Amino acid sequence: MEHPVRKSILMWLCLSPLVILILFPFAVMVSTAVKPRVEVLMYPPTWFPSEIRLQNFVDMWQATRLGPAVLNSLIVSIAATLLCLLVAIPAAYAAARMQFTGRKLFRQFLLVTQMLSPIVLVLGIFRLMAKMGFVDQLPALVLAYVAFNLAFSVWMLQAYFQTIPKELEEAATLDGASMVQRLWRIFLPLATPAIGITAVFIFIYCWNEFVLAMTLLRTPEKSTLTLQTFSLVGGRYQVEWDHVMAATLVASVPVAVIFALLQRSLVSGLTVGAVK
Amino acid sequence: MALSSSSAGKAPEAGVGSAKSRATTSPNGKIGRASAPYLLILPSILFAFWIIGYPIYDMANMSVHAVNRFGKTAAFNDFANYQRLFSHQLFIGCLIRTLVWTVFVVGGTVLLSVPIALILNEKFYGRTLARIIIMLPWAVSLTMTGIVWRWSLNGQFGMVNATLSQMGLLGAPVEWLATSTTAFPILIAIGILVSIPFTVTVILGGLSSLQADVFEAAKIDGASGWQRFRYLTLPLIRPFLNIVLVLNFIYVFNSFPLIWVMTQGDPANSTDILVTWLYKLAFRYGELGIASALSIVMFGILLALTITYAALAMRNERSTV
Repeated sequence: MEHPVRKSILMWLCLSPLVILILFPFAVMVSTAVKPRVEVLMYPPTWFPSEIRLQNFVDMWQATRLGPAVLNSLIVSIAATLLCLLVAIPAAYAAARMQFTGRKLFRQFLLVTQMLSPIVLVLGIFRLMAKMGFVDQLPALVLAYVAFNLAFSVWMLQAYFQTIPKELEEAATLDGASMVQRLWRIFLPLATPAIGITAVFIFIYCWNEFVLAMTLLRTPEKSTLTLQTFSLVGGRYQVEWDHVMAATLVASVPVAVIFALLQRSLVSGLTVGAVK
Repeated sequence: MALSSSSAGKAPEAGVGSAKSRATTSPNGKIGRASAPYLLILPSILFAFWIIGYPIYDMANMSVHAVNRFGKTAAFNDFANYQRLFSHQLFIGCLIRTLVWTVFVVGGTVLLSVPIALILNEKFYGRTLARIIIMLPWAVSLTMTGIVWRWSLNGQFGMVNATLSQMGLLGAPVEWLATSTTAFPILIAIGILVSIPFTVTVILGGLSSLQADVFEAAKIDGASGWQRFRYLTLPLIRPFLNIVLVLNFIYVFNSFPLIWVMTQGDPANSTDILVTWLYKLAFRYGELGIASALSIVMFGILLALTITYAALAMRNERSTV
């Protein structure tokens, strides 16, 4: 048998180049975000600033109008997640539990829509939203996000729903429970973890999305977090990198923490759902 | 080795879940109940036709008509938009770069992800932490990743140059993203970095579905580590590799934010791929005719890939039943 400590060291050594490359941007974010501005544009740059200026975050929060952007992102992401689940859960239930003509066709339909990415359709979507008078409106973003997450959500959920034993529902029927009671009292509680995991995936997608936000939103007040942060870098002559890095840190860390905490269930969820 | 081919078909069983719980219609299923599943799937279908189907129709329609920069369509114009697209001086370059980009990013990702997944599948101290670190880029939006790398790669104040020259690996500072010879390779490397988490996850799912006793038996029979990998592991995780290849191909082909944030296709279009060029055509140059034609061409390419994927997925599903 190999020595466990020696083996662990060897494994970490093999992973180290990748680990360094992954952590490098985080180190840069933190380092730049807490630097006094004069040191940000100092040559040669250093990892460790002379003082840790947490005031940067306060300045950034005011100067970059990140607060409203965070709020917009939250509104859009939560609304899109809820609406998407509302549409996807019934469809997933039908696909998992019911036998009907066209079931296979519906699954293929899901597969095809899952493959389409916003960027290929972005021109058409812009024209559609313009026709409906939704350009520069947050609901436009909600609708588009729901559409692009539907297939994935239905797919994930139906894979889960199939693993919930239907005997429980059948027993409830024998005891005289109605269809609504069956769904509400027995099926949904059992499906809650699956719905939760799917919700996290949808939320992260919406929180991080960029192309549609850039295309459909116009005024800075409507900007989502990714768009607002991008606008601090894109098309500017002088970029205030300390603010930008503080903003990317604020935007990334919450999602990264959620992801790290839920990593195990997210990963197992994906292998049940998406690999199918 | 003969055993590899016979056991390959069983591989996806654990990871893919099974189709055994296909329920029949609800117990009190009379004629009225027959419409229930359709009512349940109807909202999702309407949604998809509204937000995804209509734009496809609209662009297909626009692509065969003369169209001005405000999107007003005029007469049918004999596929002139497609002719202008294919004869455009930037088209071939973008197409080739898209192929290079996709092949290198997907190839590099899969080549690196297999050994990483093998390592993460072993038991060692700190494995949970290692898994979390390697999944981390997945949680961060590509826009943010792009912005941070753009700053890190800054020629004068970026930490990449600083670190490399401190280690004595670099003499003069390099403007990584403003030099046409370095910009595209750097983008490809970062593309690989952000594609690894998803790929490793799926391959890990495949590895965890493998049965240990087969490997024990092979070990007792004297198969070396490499032989066990080549003739057992690899064929057994083949279905997962196929899926990862196709899915990554589609993701990377469509990858927009990284390039847009880091170079916007510059310097001198040397990092433009089809999606970034498409965005410029549609929203910067107002070439709506060419842009819609390009969208439809890309839609066709994706559809072909999807059919490939569907065929692979269906084959897996059949082998699990």
